[in-house]
Amino acid sequence: MSAAPGEFLAKAAWLLCLASLGAQAAEPLPPAEAAAWLQRMADASRRLAYEGVFVFQHGDSAMQSLRVSNRPLASGKDSRLTAMDGPRREIRCTQDGSLSLLTEGGQVRAERRLNSRHFPDLLPANAAALANWYSVRLGEASRVAGLDCREIQLEPRDAYRWGYLLCAEKDTALPLKASMVNEAGRTLMQYRFAEIRLGAPPKNVAAPLPEMPAAARPVAGESVGVRSLPPGYTRITAVKRKLPNRGDEVEHWVFSDGLTHISLFIEPARQPVESVRGQSKLGMINMLTRQVGPMRTTVLGDAPWPAVEAIAMSLEARPAGAPR
Amino acid sequence: MTALKNLAAQADTSPRESRLSALLDGELDDAAARAVLREVVADAAQRKRFSEYCRIGDALRGDGHDSARLRGRVMAALREEPTLLAPMPKAAARLPALWLAAAAVAAITWGLWSMAPRQEDHARMAANEQARLPQAAHDDGRMLPYLAAHQDFAQAVVAPSEMRFTRVTLAGADR
Repeated sequence: MSAAPGEFLAKAAWLLCLASLGAQAAEPLPPAEAAAWLQRMADASRRLAYEGVFVFQHGDSAMQSLRVSNRPLASGKDSRLTAMDGPRREIRCTQDGSLSLLTEGGQVRAERRLNSRHFPDLLPANAAALANWYSVRLGEASRVAGLDCREIQLEPRDAYRWGYLLCAEKDTALPLKASMVNEAGRTLMQYRFAEIRLGAPPKNVAAPLPEMPAAARPVAGESVGVRSLPPGYTRITAVKRKLPNRGDEVEHWVFSDGLTHISLFIEPARQPVESVRGQSKLGMINMLTRQVGPMRTTVLGDAPWPAVEAIAMSLEARPAGAPR
Repeated sequence: MTALKNLAAQADTSPRESRLSALLDGELDDAAARAVLREVVADAAQRKRFSEYCRIGDALRGDGHDSARLRGRVMAALREEPTLLAPMPKAAARLPALWLAAAAVAAITWGLWSMAPRQEDHARMAANEQARLPQAAHDDGRMLPYLAAHQDFAQAVVAPSEMRFTRVTLAGADR
């Protein structure tokens, strides 16, 4: 799991490509100041009332428009995300959990989600800790959706995460734009508000979620262990769940540094498992399936290959029912 | 002078440019690389030069505003430099022209691999691999449920993009 050769060069190229894209490459912020900026942005996306439309683009695919509204509640998040293009899809997040609603052929299919984050709420609740794994630089003043904002670069300190370009609204620090970039400076994915109203409590968020069975249950024993994880990554979830369009349950673990999430799926290997590597068109999503003892394991995340590879190759078989 | 050299001749081959070229070629140690980076960050001309390199990379990948023109120039240059496709020993002081050629070859290799039909994909890299065995691609839809389940945690809020799958060979007892 050592750093890849040329990691420094990759980081340098990433930084300089970012600089060439327009943001001025300033010196990294001191840790305390970096942590403060990160935390302000994270808090703003949860604690502010806002309503707006943003566009999303994955690589060079077509842009999609989504409407988002958020109402701050003391008890937790209360937000609604509605796709405005293509299939009718909505994501609702309340203190009771998160639900995905998909309308097909006049029927509404509801599925519990295990996570309730979505743009602009991309940073974790404890965002200050990200300063350990990313250098934070302030960029130029900019303007998005009619609001002034300040560009902020998150440059990964190693090869285990992508870089980010954010633009934080001048007064509130709400992220108005977020781009995920690779070490060559290429944009892998981006969000950008097209219009937004700050401070206006949305009216349509409060409807209660329908009753739904739990999507997952805790894992009891563990048949697979992880020798080590990339720096900054911890396991944040370990549940048994059914996969979409499949009847049987698998274990679903999630590792995260707070910004990047990598899933591990574990299930009995019914036949010898071929090791298979998967990669999305632009390399944003990486995956490796391999057999570990009697189990089939699949490691998958919107993370650089070294991170996915490091986790996949750290897996080892454990006796069934072994404690964590 | 070949077209590639013409293209590279637009670059200033001063010592500073050579050091930038060496940086991009990975020929500098960390201390030297940091020193060059400081110069680049502080010097608008150097930043412009690096920006050009980035744009060339973008152009070869099909990005950028003038990608077609740039890609055409680099491809034309490569057609006149067939020997550059063969392995070359690293020169101690490499000119930007060679970096451009290397970047172009790498980008073309990547582009060809990316555009190849799935059935013709080959394993390019395996975790701790000992053997690089080209094998048939593997994509029969079995992976889609995993991608959909991971979507709960993915940064992207829409369906995962098209994936390419390749069999890989792992080292030792690992499958």
